Amino acid sequence: MTEETQAAPAQPDARREGRAIALGIAGWLVPGLGHLLQKMWGRALTFFVVVGLLVVIGAGMRGNVFTSDNGDAFAALGYLADLGAGSFYWVAKYIEVGGPDVSHAYGDYGTRFLAAAGVLNLLAALHAYEAARGRKA
Amino acid sequence: MKFHLSHLQSMLLFALLISVAFGFLSRRRPLERVKYMAWSLLLFLLIGIGIGWAMYPFSR
Repeated sequence: MTEETQAAPAQPDARREGRAIALGIAGWLVPGLGHLLQKMWGRALTFFVVVGLLVVIGAGMRGNVFTSDNGDAFAALGYLADLGAGSFYWVAKYIEVGGPDVSHAYGDYGTRFLAAAGVLNLLAALHAYEAARGRKA
Repeated sequence: MKFHLSHLQSMLLFALLISVAFGFLSRRRPLERVKYMAWSLLLFLLIGIGIGWAMYPFSR
């Protein structure tokens, strides 16, 4: 077997991996987009709606939308979780014009809704990436 | 836009949304998805209410 024949399958694999990464990033930026581009209509719609609802309700409950200048480690983790929602992070900031109010229980729950939206979207983006690699149905 | 949900309403809504997403994420066939969602929702509620009751003696 020559080197050429051994190297031949590597290029489609590299292309497939690149496409999978692009789909994962697309899914992170816009919830459900990674699945939409793979024609997984049900999953695309579900992730868009569920992540969108979690963000809208979380911001509507005046949860804490963390920013990069929070300082302590928990706030940094919260910021990472919130960023997981991709473009919906800025939707949350746009909705929550009055700022967070965690002095009430609903504000604290809102913070959890926002974090859950981000983490769930990261899971969905990872699923889109794995599906594009052919490792998930 | 403001939502002032109670503890129970927040838990129900959270459990429902996450269960639906988990069902679509982990199962492919519709019937399996529905079963997974129902099971996940039930466990969310049972564990949530169970933890609530477990904390009750220390709440006052």
